[in-house]
Amino acid sequence: MAKIRERYDALVIGGGIAGMQAALDLGEQGYDVLLVEKDPSIGGVMVGLNKVFPTLDCSSCICTPRMAEAAHHARIQLQTYTEVERVEKKGTGFAVHLVKKPRFLIEDDCVGCNLCELACPIDVPHEFDYGLGARRAVYIPHGNAIPQTAVLDVENCVFCGKCEKVCPTHCFDFAQEAEEVTTSVGAVIIATGLQITPMAAKKEYGGDTFVNVMNPLGMERIQSSNGPYGRVLRPSDGKIPRSIAYVQCAGSRDRSIGIPYCSRVCCMYALKQALLLTHYIHGVEVTLYYMDIRAFGKGYEQFYRRAVKEGVKATKGKVAKITEADNHDLILRVEMLDENGRVEERRHDLVVLAQGLVPGWHVGGVVDAEEAEDGFLLTPDAKISPSHTTLEGVFVGGVAAGPKDIPDAIVEAGEAAMAAANYLERTGWRAMAGAVLGASAAKQEVVETWEMH
Amino acid sequence: MSETPQTAKPAKGKNAIAVLRERHGGMSKELKEYFKEQQRIRKLLREGLKGGAMTVPQLAAACKLETRTTMWHLMAMRRYGEVVEGTEQNGYLLYTLKEG
Repeated sequence: MAKIRERYDALVIGGGIAGMQAALDLGEQGYDVLLVEKDPSIGGVMVGLNKVFPTLDCSSCICTPRMAEAAHHARIQLQTYTEVERVEKKGTGFAVHLVKKPRFLIEDDCVGCNLCELACPIDVPHEFDYGLGARRAVYIPHGNAIPQTAVLDVENCVFCGKCEKVCPTHCFDFAQEAEEVTTSVGAVIIATGLQITPMAAKKEYGGDTFVNVMNPLGMERIQSSNGPYGRVLRPSDGKIPRSIAYVQCAGSRDRSIGIPYCSRVCCMYALKQALLLTHYIHGVEVTLYYMDIRAFGKGYEQFYRRAVKEGVKATKGKVAKITEADNHDLILRVEMLDENGRVEERRHDLVVLAQGLVPGWHVGGVVDAEEAEDGFLLTPDAKISPSHTTLEGVFVGGVAAGPKDIPDAIVEAGEAAMAAANYLERTGWRAMAGAVLGASAAKQEVVETWEMH
Repeated sequence: MSETPQTAKPAKGKNAIAVLRERHGGMSKELKEYFKEQQRIRKLLREGLKGGAMTVPQLAAACKLETRTTMWHLMAMRRYGEVVEGTEQNGYLLYTLKEG
C-alpha cells in the first residue's frame, strides 16, 4: 500500500457508493484524491444489499466494479481501516489528521488466501451480516471486499498463533500499532452514509429483543445468496418462514424516538424485499402494514403495483404493538386504517421493521461544519447548492446530507465533486503545489501510455 | 508528514503472537468464557449430528440447547464448511456433518 503523501487535492471521507462516485468524478477530472474508509473494505452499505429497486439488478454487480475502479484509479489513493481524527481549516485548504488502525499484517504481502481465517478457532457475530452470521477473529470482510486483505480483530483474538503458522506469505506483523498520519488537502467531501434507526427504545416493537423481528439490512443479507444462511430462514430456529410481515414507518415519522422525518427509501426497499420473498419461498404470504406508500421515484409506482400484483399484501394499518409467542412467532396488534380503525391481532413467522435512516457519522469535533437538527449535515442553500456545507471548502454527498436512495446519492455525490473542483480552481490550490503537480503529471503520463496499449 | 513505515519488520518466530498477547493483556475473562462455551456447544452439535441429518429444532432438543443458539452455531459451522444442508422436512432444512 502506498504511503500517504503530504498533499492531495481532495479528501473524500467514506468509501460507500457516494464517496466512490465523488472520488472517481474528481479523479477523472485530474485531481488527486485521498479516499478514506473506516472499515477494512470499501463498498459501504450498498455492497451488502441483495438487489436494488426498481430494476432488481444485483446490487454488488453494480457496486463492485465501482469499488475496483476506485481502488485502481491512478488519481485515487485508497486508505481503508482508517479514521479521520481532525480536519482543520488552514487558509483555503485543510490539515487532515488520520489514524490508520492496525490490521496486524502487512497489507501488500497478504494474498487474500483465507487460510488464516479457516485456521482461526473462534467465531464471533459478523458485522457485515448484522450479527446473523459468524466470522473469525482474523477474517477477510466478505467475498467482494476491496482490498481482499485480512484483518485481525484483536479484541476477539484467542492468541493461538494459528493464523501466522498457516500464512503462506508470512505477512503477519503482530507488532503493528495504530499509526497517526497528517496530510494537506484543498477540499473535503463528506460521504459518510447511513445507519438504520436504532430500535432499542421502541419497546412496543420488542426493543431489539425479539429474535425474529429483523432489521431490513439483516433481511438483505438473508436474501443474498452469499448471506449467513444461504437462503431465507428465520433466525430463531431455521424454519422456512411462510408468513412474513413488514412494519412500515417503524423508525421514521416517529417523534417518540426522535425521528420526525420520512426516510424516503423504506417503502421501496420493503416492497422490493417483499416481492423477492414471493420469488424465493414458494407459497409465502407477505403482508406490508403501511400508513401510506411513498413511491416517488422513476418507475417506483409501477414497481409498487407490480409487487401487489405478484402477491404482496399491502394492508393499510398501523402496527401498535408486537409480542412474542413461546415458539418465537410474532403477534402483531394492528389498527386497520381502512376498516374504521378496527383492531386486529395477526400472527407471523417473521417480522421485518422498515427502519429509517440516520447519519452514519457525526462531524462533531472532527470537521467544523454544522449539523442540522436531525443530525445530517446542514446544507444552508440546499436548493441552489445542495452539496455546500456551512464550512467553505467542505462538501457533502449522499445520505450524509439526508435520507435518499442510491440514484440520488450518486447524483448528489457527483454534484459534490463538481463543487469541490470549482473550489479547488477558484482557490488556486493546484497551482500552489508545483512539486505534487509534477508527480501527478508523471502519473497521468503512465496512465495515458497504458491506455494507448 | 508524520507517517511511520507500515512495513515494519514482521514479528516472526515462536514468540511472535506473545508480543500481541502481552500488549493486549491476554484474553478478557468474558472472551475466555465465550470461547469455552463455543467449544462446548460445537462438541455437542458434532456429537448430535453423528446420528444423521437433523433439523435445527431436532438438534437443539437432542443437545438440550436453545434453538436460536443451535441455529447460530450451526450456521457458523456451515459457513466454514463443517456442515452441509440437505432436503426440507416439515418446513425445516436437514443438516449433516460434511464428510471427510
